[in-house]
Amino acid sequence: MASFDTKKATEIHRELHSHLPSEPALRVKALESLMVEKGLTTTETINAWVEAYSEEIGPKRGAQVVARSWIDPTFKVRLLADAAKAIEEFGFEGDATGHLKVLENTAELHNLVVCTLCSCYPFSILGIAPNWYKTAAYRSRAVRNPRGVLTEFGVSLNKDIQIHVWDSTAELRYLVLPQRPAGTESLSEEELAKLVTRNSMIGTDRNLSTQTAGES
Amino acid sequence: MDGVHDLGGKQGHGPIDVHEPVEPFHADWEARAWALSKGIGGTPPDITIDWWRHVRETTIPADYLTRPYLDSWLETDMVTLVDSNICTVEELATGKSTTPASHKTDSITVADAIAANRTYATKFDRPINAKPKFVVGNKIVAQQNASTGHTRLPGYVRGRSGKIHAHHGAHLFPDAVARGIEKAEHLYTVVFLAQELWPEANDSKDIIFLDLWESYLDPR
Repeated sequence: MASFDTKKATEIHRELHSHLPSEPALRVKALESLMVEKGLTTTETINAWVEAYSEEIGPKRGAQVVARSWIDPTFKVRLLADAAKAIEEFGFEGDATGHLKVLENTAELHNLVVCTLCSCYPFSILGIAPNWYKTAAYRSRAVRNPRGVLTEFGVSLNKDIQIHVWDSTAELRYLVLPQRPAGTESLSEEELAKLVTRNSMIGTDRNLSTQTAGES
Repeated sequence: MDGVHDLGGKQGHGPIDVHEPVEPFHADWEARAWALSKGIGGTPPDITIDWWRHVRETTIPADYLTRPYLDSWLETDMVTLVDSNICTVEELATGKSTTPASHKTDSITVADAIAANRTYATKFDRPINAKPKFVVGNKIVAQQNASTGHTRLPGYVRGRSGKIHAHHGAHLFPDAVARGIEKAEHLYTVVFLAQELWPEANDSKDIIFLDLWESYLDPR
């Protein structure tokens, strides 16, 4: 049973700090060995989760959803109305998408997502969060100087464009719907999905290229 | 809790590493750490997301700010395991169990993991009898004093004025759930003007949205 005791948790952190090796790889290895020996998981199960999040569960899912919304206006309506349900059409629902919301960028508006209190992220649709998203640098500044943050990412925003910053303080999770680049009318849904960068779905990228080079 | 985790608006944390490689994992241990957090998730079942987040908030502040993220995340898992008597600090230090296996777990495949993930789309909304205190458009002021335990009311909006942007029904209330009490409260998206929050944002028209529970808010 969990104690729900702040003081006890604090003390255990301090004990771990004193008794465990400081090298992360050694700590992780010890935990994995122990959990396997106790029968709480298996090496194969850990391998399976690594592979699931290396390949299938990643930002290409979000990109597919974005591309579909660009070519199918009725899907876009469903996505904006209830994203948690709309992504079920792809089988992409899962970890942290139970209350997913989609935020649409327009010519006048740019959305930026952050979690200042921890690192909430819609895992099932974007995969594991990039490290920068979880750093103090991003979490502290996204709500206070979003234009500065965007400049750092190479996005210069016209003064007339309003920024909406979304701090994920509850169990709602946010996915930014970037604008479809001009001149892509002839591209297929699959080709369009390749233009959508992970960062554009967090809000640290805006003007998508019409070439499929953008990987972040 | 007024901890170091409450980072919104804090200054001096330096530049963002915008050139981070795009691969999901940058080291083997990161992949193992992430997968372990999935593979042992829900052990035992009373480790709620809110208790887990609170445990992470009790990390030694210097460690919280300096240790690699997934390493710190996994330390949180370790604390919850020790706290719930699943293992001891000594066992975590050696990687060896001092008792025989208490469970038997079958291995899963990648397809199983992907299928299992689909069942993790957890809902946090709950039925509630209480009528919502606010409607969309109401002006509010966020409470100055927050819980000394776990809370999701960040320091940077406390005492500040905002407006109800949306109502989401009642959701499980983290301040209570982190104490082991299942309770729901009305949840709202509240919008704050950057101008209201930051002295340097006088001429900004940018706005900040937070999802806040009813007891964090007073009418204005």
